[in-house]
Amino acid sequence: MKLSSFISSAYPETSLSPRIKKGRKDMIFSLEDLADRIGSRPDRASVEELVEEEASQIELLLSCQPDKRCALIWGYVSSLAAERSPLPLRLPARDYAGLEMAGGCIILEKGGDHVGEKMRGGRIVIEGAAGDYLGQEMTGGGIVAAGCRDYAFRQMKGGWGVVKGDAGKFLGLGNTGGRIALQGSCRERAGWMMRSGRLYVRGDAGEYLGLLMSGGEILVRGEAGRRAGWRSKGGRIAASHFGPEAVDGVTELG
Amino acid sequence: MPDPKSKIEQLVSSLEELRLHLGRKDLLIGRDRINSQLYFCLANACLRSRAVLLYGGMGANKTSLINLLGASFLGLELDRMEDLMVTGHPEQTEEKIVGFLDPRQWTGQKEGPVQVLWTDWAGSRWKLINEINRFPSGKQNLFLEILQKRRISYAGQVCQPGETCYFATMNPEFSATYPLDQALLDRISACVPAYQPDFLAGLLLSEREREVRDLAGMLPRFTESEFSSLPQLVAGKPLSSQVELAVLCLIRDFTLCERAPSYDKTQLSGSKPSLGLCSGCHYHNNPEAICWQTDEELSDRVRQDLRIFCRAFAFLLDRQADLEILRAIAPYVIWHRINPMTSVLEKPPYFGVGKLAYVASLVNKSIDRTMNERREMNLIYSHAMDREISASQAIEELSSFDDPIARMDFIPHLESRQ
Repeated sequence: MKLSSFISSAYPETSLSPRIKKGRKDMIFSLEDLADRIGSRPDRASVEELVEEEASQIELLLSCQPDKRCALIWGYVSSLAAERSPLPLRLPARDYAGLEMAGGCIILEKGGDHVGEKMRGGRIVIEGAAGDYLGQEMTGGGIVAAGCRDYAFRQMKGGWGVVKGDAGKFLGLGNTGGRIALQGSCRERAGWMMRSGRLYVRGDAGEYLGLLMSGGEILVRGEAGRRAGWRSKGGRIAASHFGPEAVDGVTELG
Repeated sequence: MPDPKSKIEQLVSSLEELRLHLGRKDLLIGRDRINSQLYFCLANACLRSRAVLLYGGMGANKTSLINLLGASFLGLELDRMEDLMVTGHPEQTEEKIVGFLDPRQWTGQKEGPVQVLWTDWAGSRWKLINEINRFPSGKQNLFLEILQKRRISYAGQVCQPGETCYFATMNPEFSATYPLDQALLDRISACVPAYQPDFLAGLLLSEREREVRDLAGMLPRFTESEFSSLPQLVAGKPLSSQVELAVLCLIRDFTLCERAPSYDKTQLSGSKPSLGLCSGCHYHNNPEAICWQTDEELSDRVRQDLRIFCRAFAFLLDRQADLEILRAIAPYVIWHRINPMTSVLEKPPYFGVGKLAYVASLVNKSIDRTMNERREMNLIYSHAMDREISASQAIEELSSFDDPIARMDFIPHLESRQ
């Protein structure tokens, strides 16, 4: 008897699916319920595995008010919802909205902290001002916000961000890629340790612009504060006016 | 024309009617709910050179049941059966159990081969080793040779009682018991818990007014030809290919280890899963993978026992030897041979004592995986082995299966053929 005949006879045609059976999962009643199943370290894969594709399940989870333990999970659910929604998704202002989002569109009235963190694609539009860590570690996609607080686009690797108003401290800290356009002004240490990418500021920039930067490009249409380009090892900084103690390599725009 | 099957049915009903055996029906096979203690003993009576161990506290009807069945199958009196068994204690010797040199030969004038006086137990075809764990560890070695053998040798002489049914009983650990050696346990085909009578059984037993000895005489008796025909009747029951495949995969699930030489857990010495061998292995803590959940592998004896007991139960229950039988009996064939990870066993719902239930869950996982998730990889491998597809194509396709059998059995074998 051939081996294939033996194996085939063990699997009659009426047998179940050949690959892993994905049985229907249990209903998840709340973010706490989901958090209990995932454990102490939630990640996108576990959330994706546990959350059904049914819209009602995602809607239920999105409507929950997340506590500190469930904030990350809510962020993952918001991304899954946006990716599966054919239309832009309007969500309440909460932390971690669009966490690791890969596609789709989210509209927020105003932003919490960590909005668009680690996002890989899609769009996030924040009609009001965003909190801290906007677009942190993002690698793709785009964010538009009316304003933001500190650490916006920190360690950005790709994608783009537009801030229509002012930004706080440490804008574009440690960036290795991506593009940031700021229509207002930013506070101190924008472009700190920047290695690549582009930062455009239409207004003024605070002191220590491009501190320790080693690559990339910073362009300020207004006035940069004191010590621009301090201890920088590469890259390009240009501004209309520089404060005192700017390094020699910076370019003054005409 | 002997009809041993109907006589077995008579025996089962007689045991119940005479209040000689009233165990809880704890084994579900399809729609049949049966008593595991009784049916494993009956199955063993239909086989030869297999051993069944009944494990339980005092007074759980272990020894009596085996002697009653022996009296019925051999057509002997219960007293005679009780004389045939050997009971474990530290002063037992090979001479008392098997036989001793005939002292008369030293005083006679005749020359010739050494003469041995064999004990009744050695010559019996129904061998009960009572309280086996009361034999000291060294003396347990005697049974390594005897169990599952057709011949017993002593002083260069051989006793050939013929095909034999082996039974053993043991209590849980007491002050006068000894742990059973792993090699001896591997020679025991199935280990069945013997429970105390439940409430209703206790009530029914209280209605028994006559002595067991008297009632035993009323049990049906098998003729020599009927008893001898049982193994052939069992062998007539074919195993389905599903059972054959599930048994193969079950053995491999327990035996494969990514970190062992040749992926074979039998080669492990000193290091084992419970001592941290699996730390960092990507199968570790995966509840679907069985390899890391037990320290021991399953030997080829397990494969033989699973197959033959599937047939025996199919014969006894008059049904096909299918996966339902395998699911039901496999835990009893495996659980005494392995030590599961205590970290898992000590958690609910096992609480450190549900070893049989835990092994049953592992068995079900393996069978379910074989019949569902492993379908495609098994088909790919079989087509490659029959040269219907190329080995390199099969290896490429099998690489996408994160299954121990695909990774450690199928792919290395196909690579060696290239």
